[in-house]
Amino acid sequence: MSSPYAVELHNVTKRYNEIVAVNNMNLTLNTGEIFALLGPNGSGKSTTLKMLLGLVQPTAGEISVLGLDVQKDPVAVKRQVGYVPESPEIYEFLTGIEYLDFIGDIYGMPNVEKQQRITEYLKALQLEGREGDMINSYSDGMKKKISLISAFLHKPKLLILDEPLNALDPRSARIVKNFLHELKMQGVTTILSTHVLEIAEAVCDRIGIMYQGNILALGNMNELRQKASLPSSGLEDIFLKLTGTDDLKAVVEELLR
Amino acid sequence: MNWKNVLFLLRVERKSGRLIRGVKATRYREHGIIAYWPYWLAAILGILGGLIANYLTTIIYADPTSVSGGLPPIKDSALGFFVSMPTLILLLSLVFTMFQQIQLAGLKKTSQVMYWLPVTWQEHTLASILSNLFGLPLALATGFAFGLVVFSVFNGLVVAALITTVAMFGAAFMGSATTEIIRVIQVRFVGAVYKSSGRAAIWVRLIGSLLFFLILYLIYFAIFTGTGSITFIQSIAKFQTSIWFIPYVWLGITLYYLILNSSLLLGIVFIAASASFIVGIYYLAVLLNQRFGLYEPPAIKVQTSGIYAPKAGLLGKLGFSTVEAAIIRKDIRAFTRRRELIGIFIIPIVFIIVPIFNSINISNQGAPSGINVFFEAMIFLFPSSIMAMTLGNMLIGEEGQAVWRIYASPISPKNLVKSKFAFLTFFAIIVLIVTGTIGVVFFRPSISTTIIAFLESLFLTFALGSMGLHFGFRGADFSATRRARMIRQEWSLASFVACTLAGLSIVAPLAPYIISKFASSFLPIAPLGVVELAISVVISGVIASVFTVVFYKINLGSARELLRKAET
Repeated sequence: MSSPYAVELHNVTKRYNEIVAVNNMNLTLNTGEIFALLGPNGSGKSTTLKMLLGLVQPTAGEISVLGLDVQKDPVAVKRQVGYVPESPEIYEFLTGIEYLDFIGDIYGMPNVEKQQRITEYLKALQLEGREGDMINSYSDGMKKKISLISAFLHKPKLLILDEPLNALDPRSARIVKNFLHELKMQGVTTILSTHVLEIAEAVCDRIGIMYQGNILALGNMNELRQKASLPSSGLEDIFLKLTGTDDLKAVVEELLR
Repeated sequence: MNWKNVLFLLRVERKSGRLIRGVKATRYREHGIIAYWPYWLAAILGILGGLIANYLTTIIYADPTSVSGGLPPIKDSALGFFVSMPTLILLLSLVFTMFQQIQLAGLKKTSQVMYWLPVTWQEHTLASILSNLFGLPLALATGFAFGLVVFSVFNGLVVAALITTVAMFGAAFMGSATTEIIRVIQVRFVGAVYKSSGRAAIWVRLIGSLLFFLILYLIYFAIFTGTGSITFIQSIAKFQTSIWFIPYVWLGITLYYLILNSSLLLGIVFIAASASFIVGIYYLAVLLNQRFGLYEPPAIKVQTSGIYAPKAGLLGKLGFSTVEAAIIRKDIRAFTRRRELIGIFIIPIVFIIVPIFNSINISNQGAPSGINVFFEAMIFLFPSSIMAMTLGNMLIGEEGQAVWRIYASPISPKNLVKSKFAFLTFFAIIVLIVTGTIGVVFFRPSISTTIIAFLESLFLTFALGSMGLHFGFRGADFSATRRARMIRQEWSLASFVACTLAGLSIVAPLAPYIISKFASSFLPIAPLGVVELAISVVISGVIASVFTVVFYKINLGSARELLRKAET
């Protein structure tokens, strides 16, 4: 399968018994694009991201990543992808540096490059001084930083980031956002899911809004405004209108009874 | 004390075993009776045990003169047994609750939830003590209780059996409360040791855990081997009255005065003393939990900060790719740092202690020295092969929730199988060298016996390791439950049965040689010679190689399947 796109999903469906997590999804991402997948809890975002990496098998449809068929050659795909899961469970018995060393080896990085990049990232994300501690003593934010470094370390061509900025301090979050922009300039494609709509609005070229396994709307901010018929609104209003959860006042009043 | 809170906490604890890989998580419904199957099983086994004990005593007591020296009245024998039960249950409760605590070491998150719930330390501590009893300790107490009551129904000892049952559960609580106290002290003490150990903390923890196992097993086998469990149980009844000043035997002494000696007053005194002691250790546990329960051990700093320099590593020179070497290094660190995995080192410890203890005991009883051949075989063949099988069973599931890292990384099935198999054979061969050396020093076998034992152990290690890994793939349990098993129970059992059969078929070619050698001492046949022995060893090696290669290839398929179906 050859594709001009960095990512291509064609009629992809994923079912868990009678539950349809992703329903007949069609999506293409251009090389160097930063794309955000938004949606309420359980809308199918994480499942979609996992399917891109071959961690979840689609029930139907085809997925091409960087011109490769995920089903046929998953190892080749994984070699070129950096992935951060929503709640990264990492080997807590390793120290931060041992974990990153492990990741570097798994991706076949030369020692000199691995050493240089690990040192740079630890410094940038302010983990210096704690890299020799076992990960089980790290805070959630520190674990997230280690997960992000492990996704960036081997210079991937595609980044799949599930809630990448969760638990990060503002400085680190800003570094990551700027870094994603720099990577975009270098042709790295990023697909991320987030509930923080400001991040999607500020960082992403295009946004897809998912609801109950379907993409309700897809495009840049202007296109989304048009679709929602909210010409001067922000992403939050658009999101709430499209996902049918704009009657919040009634819900809050019900809770206050 | 809000008893409902204790009950709620206990319910949560019992349900913690639900998250087992392979159990359908959506629309989960639990059958009320099946959920308590270990205790139902224990009760059934207890009832059967009681019936069998009654049947046997009926036969034996039908003609007491057939036993040399005669028999004491059945009531006296039975009551002597009853009196020893609380102390026996106490010992078992202590041993098993401590082992359970070690298994819990890998999971602390769920246990912390109650710290911010409106639960008092009294409720939390009581729930913790009772929940420690879940599993084997409670099942044992239940089984014994049913056994005693059933036996007593036929022998007119129902009241004594009921009093004993109450005392047994009291003893189980006593054991568990003591474990709770030790746990809290250990958390505080170990934290302080780690802090002062600095970089050596990893080794302090490994060696400390191994010493703990060694001491626990030495006590366990000193009690339960040699003279036999029955003799031990009988001796408790006599022994515990002479150490009356130790509160842990007060429940046993209570029974002694109430049901054996008919001293009601002394019985009541010891009931009061026992109850006071139980309440006392419970409140000590509460106090310690209040003081140290929220204590977080300091972070273990394995490396000092400075310029990071990757190591070239020996594994690369041995022909492993960087991916495989990385997985092996990671697993070595897991098995030397995760306390719930360090438990695997029990295997060589047990298989060093058991043959040596048994050999000493049997030799003391005048058994011929030839019997030592069995113990030599045990110390050579068992530890490394069981280690290989067990590691194979655990090595996939031990990845736990972090297994996504394996799924998401460019790791091929070949990388995964090769690294896991290399790790388990590497560890098992080290065990073989250690246990074999101890066997040679202790039993002093001939050179030919040593060589054959070593070769056969190697054959078993490779074959059972490969088979064990197959079952590890098929039954991998990645869930982070409070009593993580790494492999589902049904697959663990299947692995044990299959590996036992495979092991027997590997050593089977040696059977003619061994039989002819033993038979030649009392039958007019010549033992088989060295050539026949060499041929047997070669055949054995060929069988082991077939098992190893076939299962290695199956494992490649299993790894491919595992990586492909990551979601399940």
